[in-house]
Amino acid sequence: MKRVVITGMGAVSPLGGTVAEQADALDAGRHGVRAMPEWAEYKGLRSLVAAPAELKNEKAIPRQNRRSMSRMSIFAAQAAQEALRDAGLVAEGVGDGRTGCVAGSTTGSAIALSQVYETMLPEKDFSILQSMQFFQCLSHTVAMNVAQYLGLRGVLLSTNAACASSLQAIGAAFDLVRSGRQDAVFCGGAEELHATVTGSFDMLMAASVRYNDRPEAASRPFDAARDGLVCGEGAGIVVVEDLERARARGARIHAEILGFHTCSGGSHISESNRDGIAACMRAALADARCAPPEIDYVSAHATSTIQGDGEEAAAIRNVLGENVPVSSLKGNLGHTLGASGAIELVAAIEGLRRGHLYPTRNLETVAEECKGIRHVAAREPTAARTFLKNSFAFGGINASLVCRRWTDGGTP
Amino acid sequence: MTREEIVSKTNAVFAESFEIEPERLKPEANVFLDLGLDSLDTVDLVVAIQKRFGVQIRDDDRVRAIRTLGDVYDFIETIQKEQQG
Repeated sequence: MKRVVITGMGAVSPLGGTVAEQADALDAGRHGVRAMPEWAEYKGLRSLVAAPAELKNEKAIPRQNRRSMSRMSIFAAQAAQEALRDAGLVAEGVGDGRTGCVAGSTTGSAIALSQVYETMLPEKDFSILQSMQFFQCLSHTVAMNVAQYLGLRGVLLSTNAACASSLQAIGAAFDLVRSGRQDAVFCGGAEELHATVTGSFDMLMAASVRYNDRPEAASRPFDAARDGLVCGEGAGIVVVEDLERARARGARIHAEILGFHTCSGGSHISESNRDGIAACMRAALADARCAPPEIDYVSAHATSTIQGDGEEAAAIRNVLGENVPVSSLKGNLGHTLGASGAIELVAAIEGLRRGHLYPTRNLETVAEECKGIRHVAAREPTAARTFLKNSFAFGGINASLVCRRWTDGGTP
Repeated sequence: MTREEIVSKTNAVFAESFEIEPERLKPEANVFLDLGLDSLDTVDLVVAIQKRFGVQIRDDDRVRAIRTLGDVYDFIETIQKEQQG
């Protein structure tokens, strides 16, 4: 098996248009959650908060590529471009068939899907639909747009697993590279905001509804006063690469991926459960050949839902004990859904590079069911290297990735 | 609708839908070779023309014969007369 490293990172998120901008915002403790009064026109939608990303400079993407991109694919293309540059790769060099793309989102573009139905259904008229709306609606729209934009000719896969989409993508890419099937893979995910997306969570009683007048306090993972998640948008893309190839071309290495696992909880279509999460984390640790004491930090999935945060806290307690620092970045970022795994992975790696752990924003009173783990309460200096990133999704999907920050001189 | 209005409205479609600079919009320009449209753009061109001019051309075989921007102007002029008549 080959060793696999991350050599490029890109992010567009509610906290900025690059990895560095996002990290600067996290350093300053900023958040990206806003009131969404324009959503009040939707009957039955009670959650009027969200974490939007800024769409800008999209015309730098040639029209021939951009025409099939919705908002989330544009975010993904921009994150992929940043990851390409960061990895020291050039577009001309990635079309050799040895470089692939694995990316996902919850669904195709929610904006395009709504436009298509709003346009077509009143008169039941297909003749007024534009061709490009079709490509924006497809479930694999993010993966295909990133791959065509970069001119990739390797493996092209789409992982559409709701909030676990991008971490599953990185896990699949890890497998493709360690098995030798690919030399490098652009992987991650993207998501875009729409009232129908937040409405889906609100309908299931999983979105925050009590903080419409205080959006900055709405996303509060692990907190006793949490009442649901806040949807966000953006994209996270990383370049995973064969270590030997990265070394041979003199690439700067951010981190090594040590292990991954994804599995079904097998018990409930929406409720996560501590045993399923713990099984996933243990399997990822075994894959990484890491004992629990080797884990220095957990970047939690914790979305600020009543049910999920308690189950994840219990699983972390069971697997890693009470002393490993844990935080969720969703207090700052909101829940960027399919993009969250990649965005938060990138944030964690950059945070460790800058020498600190980020706290869980808005965690004021730890909920009873979330006690028994060491919550990062304020930004703290750290020499942490090995960490675990969790992502979970509706449908009982669990995913855990074990990473080690790369330091000069290599790994043990 | 006058020829000038047809030219102006058609050029607006090419500028808005396909981001083509006004100075490139000449009657002799080949919409594929010179203006860079492809088969998918043709689908959207048809939809945009139908909306802008209030005509139905999706199932008209004459669309396939269009090569230049001048052909587009001529076709719209013809189809408008036919469908108004």
